[in-house]
Amino acid sequence: MTNEAIYAEIEPVFRELFDDYEGPVNAELTGNDVDQWDSLGHVQLVVSIEQIFGVRFDPQEVTDLPNLGALVDLIAAKKSG
Amino acid sequence: MNKLEAYPTLSRLYDLQLEVFPAHEDFLKRRFENSSDEHIGEVAQLAEIVERIAGYNLRVIAEDYAWLTDRMLEEEYHFRRTGKYRLSTFEEAERTVYADPVFMQKYMNGVLLSHLWWGNHSRVIVYFRRQFLPLIREGGSHLEVGPGHGLLLYLAAQSQAGSVTGWDVSETSLKNTRNALQAMGVEKPIALEAHNIVNAPSQKFDSLTFSEVLEHLEEPLEALKILRSLLNEGGKIFVHAPVNSPAPDHIYLFEDPEAIIDMVEQAGFKIEKTECFPGMDAPIDRARKLKLTISTIVVGTAI
Repeated sequence: MTNEAIYAEIEPVFRELFDDYEGPVNAELTGNDVDQWDSLGHVQLVVSIEQIFGVRFDPQEVTDLPNLGALVDLIAAKKSG
Repeated sequence: MNKLEAYPTLSRLYDLQLEVFPAHEDFLKRRFENSSDEHIGEVAQLAEIVERIAGYNLRVIAEDYAWLTDRMLEEEYHFRRTGKYRLSTFEEAERTVYADPVFMQKYMNGVLLSHLWWGNHSRVIVYFRRQFLPLIREGGSHLEVGPGHGLLLYLAAQSQAGSVTGWDVSETSLKNTRNALQAMGVEKPIALEAHNIVNAPSQKFDSLTFSEVLEHLEEPLEALKILRSLLNEGGKIFVHAPVNSPAPDHIYLFEDPEAIIDMVEQAGFKIEKTECFPGMDAPIDRARKLKLTISTIVVGTAI
């Protein structure tokens, strides 16, 4: 699965969860750019991603990620693994 | 932080919290940047009380708050994945939380600071003081079941109530409440007694507080019916319980505020006022749509 395909799946979920954010959904995005993307919002994002892609994350591996791109890379690695 | 500069105690607690838990900076910044000056002033008053309760243990309490947020995130993952709380029986909560004194102490310490850092928690305290206490009878008898950190009992003792009583099933919890009240410097005598409401003495009160207890019970409706029987007709009740709020010892899931309001009504109360305070101060529509935590308050009259 390509990263582009992953972003295409994530973007609607991301925009539903964080509906105040209107900028681009890309690899550079961090919690600093999106006010609603706090720790609880992050759990909702991660669990939504788990359901969409049929993967499971250990909470440790998705805490303190530098940006959205790192999360997408993790999804890609799990899908190819 | 600039907005807190006028309030030295709150400012000091804020700095200490970030010293022991730097990863919380974004959260706390947003929490206060998005709050009105009036609300920050109210939180600053709470900070004075919290600091007195904490005494010399402030740093430990700040560390325990950081520990609590980790426990809450674990529960949040479970809740979002399954749609259920991890525990469903009192026996499980007793075994894994209440019977573990180290866990309980950290938990209660963390919850104490949550009254400053979580907007919904501080707004409940402010609502209680401003909206509920004026309704209670001058010189009347007031009871709190499950007083925990003692903040609401302390405020009730400052009100026009004639007598103030706290009941809890746990001697350990009562001891904690007693210590907190002592630290807060309450002048009015407060009776703290170990009672399970199921075998409650046949006393009657004029007003009653039941805050953050319903979600810990297997049969919350039955508990509310007992509370109704403890109130004189016309007596006032303040019920506060959270919706969609996973925590290590929450066992009863309310999925929306109406589930709590309807239950209070069903137990024999006329609903006088309700209020919803979503977690993270989210707009209520967003909180409902995403099933976020909503601290729900119901004020009722015994009929």
